[in-house]
Amino acid sequence: MDFILNKALPVLFHWGGVCLFAPFFLGVIARVKAFFSGKTGPSVFQLYFDLAKLFRKKCVYSGTATWIFRAAPAVILGVMLTLSLMVPFGRFKAPVQFSGDVLLAVYLLAVGRFFMILAALDTGSSFEGMGASREAFFSCLSELALFMNFIVLALLAKSISLSQMIGANIPMSWGGMEPVLLLVVVSFFIVLLAENCRIPIDDPETHLELTMIHEVMILDHSGVDLAFMLHAAAMKFFIFSGILVSIIIPVRTGNAVMDMAIFFGGMLGLAVLVGVVESTTARFRLNRVRLLLLISFALAFFGLIVTLWRA
Amino acid sequence: METFFRGPWQVPFGELSLKVDPLSLVFLVAITILVLCAGAYGIGYMRPYRGKKPLGIHAFFYGVLALDLVLIVTANNAILFLGAWELMTLSTFFCIIFDDEKSSVRKAGFIYLIASHCATFFLFLMFFLMARAAGSMDFDIMARTGFSPVLAGIVFLLALAGFGVKAGFLPVHIWLPYAHPASPSHISALMSGITIKMGIYGICRVLWIMKVLPNWCGYVLLMIGVSSGIMGVLYALGQHELKKLLAYHSIENIGIIALGLGVGLLGRSHQVPFLAVLGFGGGLLHVLNHSLFKSLLFFGAGSVIQKTHTGEMDRLGGLARTLPVTSILFLVGALSICGLPLFNGFISEFIIYFGLFQGLLGLPVQGGIFCSLGILALALMGALALACFCKVYGTVFLGKPRVDINGPLKDPAARQGIREGTSRWMLVPMMILAGLCVWIGLVPRTAAGLAFRGGAYLTHVDLAAVPLGQVFTPLTMVVRIVLLFLALVLGLIVVRRFLLGGTSMPVRETWSCGFSQVSSRFQYTSASFARSIVDLMKNVLFFRRYGGQVAGVFPEKTSLVSSVHDVSEEMVYRPGLALLNYISEKLGHSRIRYTQLYLVYILLFLIFLLVWKLK
Repeated sequence: MDFILNKALPVLFHWGGVCLFAPFFLGVIARVKAFFSGKTGPSVFQLYFDLAKLFRKKCVYSGTATWIFRAAPAVILGVMLTLSLMVPFGRFKAPVQFSGDVLLAVYLLAVGRFFMILAALDTGSSFEGMGASREAFFSCLSELALFMNFIVLALLAKSISLSQMIGANIPMSWGGMEPVLLLVVVSFFIVLLAENCRIPIDDPETHLELTMIHEVMILDHSGVDLAFMLHAAAMKFFIFSGILVSIIIPVRTGNAVMDMAIFFGGMLGLAVLVGVVESTTARFRLNRVRLLLLISFALAFFGLIVTLWRA
Repeated sequence: METFFRGPWQVPFGELSLKVDPLSLVFLVAITILVLCAGAYGIGYMRPYRGKKPLGIHAFFYGVLALDLVLIVTANNAILFLGAWELMTLSTFFCIIFDDEKSSVRKAGFIYLIASHCATFFLFLMFFLMARAAGSMDFDIMARTGFSPVLAGIVFLLALAGFGVKAGFLPVHIWLPYAHPASPSHISALMSGITIKMGIYGICRVLWIMKVLPNWCGYVLLMIGVSSGIMGVLYALGQHELKKLLAYHSIENIGIIALGLGVGLLGRSHQVPFLAVLGFGGGLLHVLNHSLFKSLLFFGAGSVIQKTHTGEMDRLGGLARTLPVTSILFLVGALSICGLPLFNGFISEFIIYFGLFQGLLGLPVQGGIFCSLGILALALMGALALACFCKVYGTVFLGKPRVDINGPLKDPAARQGIREGTSRWMLVPMMILAGLCVWIGLVPRTAAGLAFRGGAYLTHVDLAAVPLGQVFTPLTMVVRIVLLFLALVLGLIVVRRFLLGGTSMPVRETWSCGFSQVSSRFQYTSASFARSIVDLMKNVLFFRRYGGQVAGVFPEKTSLVSSVHDVSEEMVYRPGLALLNYISEKLGHSRIRYTQLYLVYILLFLIFLLVWKLK
């Protein structure tokens, strides 16, 4: 009984929250983009309708694909669900916290990426190969930037547990180390855009396979598999924004409802910001993307220099 | 903790003194597993050669090599060690040149032999310097001697030069990418799994003997690890040949091991025993892990080559259908080498990361900078290795077979799509290795404990005095989360099955934007997959590209050749050896053949000796 209350319940709560709210924020981004282009746009809940439709559909498979293609969606969704347990969302503490969980988190993301790329190559399609190659390349750079951010945060928090790095010790760092944290925020925002295939890096809404990255890799997925993939992508955005919001708004009022409202407002604001960025910038040429990612790395690197110098 | 054996064998300064201690234990475990697995695999792999080639000679040298590896890690005397070292070099050479009718194999063998012997020169020098200071060739007596910092530094550098060639540190690694593809697959596996680790063992032994080393040694080892690791995986990305690619990955993993040992050395010289045990332990665990998954990968590559008679990745494809068992086992190896959770590679990399973060938070600023460099390098290596093995697995095992462009497979069984057909002698060792990879990944305590004991032995501290709980608790959590992840994936698969119902799904063609005349040549090749990364690094990688441009409205058939060359080979060794050749040609007296001249030389030398002695 004790185990259920203390361990299982928070885990289920966390999963419920992530599953339920994740698609909402992508809907917000779509709505903001529609507003900027002068359209009414689809409902904020459009992704829920899409998922509900896809979950009821059967799949069509390519004759070239093997079991890897069929297993990949489950693996990727599993990665996102496991990952969400290590991230605190506002007042909801992460159910899983231990020294070094940040390493496991990054490597779990890598597992998802590995299967995503293999599933894309499994179809033998040249378009999907293209997307896979780009994903492999850009993720090398974004993982480097991500690690750089984590190094700085670990130094500030004197801990390598994600919950400590972005939770408990952040308010202290904002008093005195704010230039470093600003650098980290900007750098992490670029990583967020890259990892979630948002506009200056990748366009999730284009219909030209030649220029896509993430969407082209899931060209051959359909039905339930596609629903898994889309839901996992929404969760990934939710998790990354959750981390960023925790860094930006470390406020704890003590009132549960207020805290949740602040966190939710932060998430909403971030989604709107991503929508604005997507509406006001053009997609970069592919050989420019690496520069953007290297800039993200460099910003965090300056953060490290400042941290070491201050210490 | 230490077990001695002294045999009745005497040569000047040398004796048959053997010792098993926690350090050699780690290597002995790896040797035992690998020698048995590679031997069994070799039986199956060599079957097609039966009656065509003298297999007895090969088996004899394999046996000599196996026994000799044990002798190296247990030798407690420098003379015995050097003898065993020489024997290992020679027996490996004879194992490599099994296909000696091919000139490329003979060339690879000679490059290996020359590189090894150049390295042995440094070892002789190093051991003599140590023995002179200690007054004995016995390792134990050396370990009790206090060496001056200058001498310790020199010995450390000599060890890096001498053992580094065997281990494959950049830039003295050039024999590796030649020798691995040239030799039979079980020999490649044994070389990559164990022989190159003997270089690491040698460095560890020297670190153990030299209790006090100058501070810069740790930084040097760390930087060697960083450069070997990153360059190794970058070169691997540019390769088109399966075994050559795996050989470069060995250089990468040796880099990771050196990184771990470097962290350990930093911890030891800064008097932080916990950090030292983490670094050394992580490095030693990676020695064991790498020997498991790398030989698994070489075995898998061997099965592919036996079936298709080629290791050129761009000629393969779709082998997951013809070699279903091998493909799954190869996937286990690929996931392990990328350091992904659930498999053993993650455990050792986690420990090394943990050590690096400890160093970042605990060491003075200078150490912190190097540790953050190490973290970044390890992260980059991980991401690049992932890209590389996606490329390997995607082009070799997934997609459609690319054979229709390059003529049919030579093996009729493979062409007809007969399932697997790999000998059981080859499959069972691979299964054992894959099982061990998963076992260490899920129950890391035993193997990590073994490695930490080795680490504590290298640090010269008592294991009980080190707060190992600080790393074991996270490891337990890692395993729990990974199991949860596994359960989740299985649960999701069940959910998916439930949602889809029992009906079989329609199978159609891959979507190709409405184009109907799709052939398997449209697929991304290994070269095109890695292109964007190689392009970014083309200045470091010597990336060359010929042809590929089409001209005119109705372009004619054209071809594209791209390749990546080793910078240290093209920039250092080739010009260096050309210069050496030039000098020796000039000194070779090709035109002066007077006997009198030589008599004058002898006279001059005698006078020089007289002056020198009478002075």
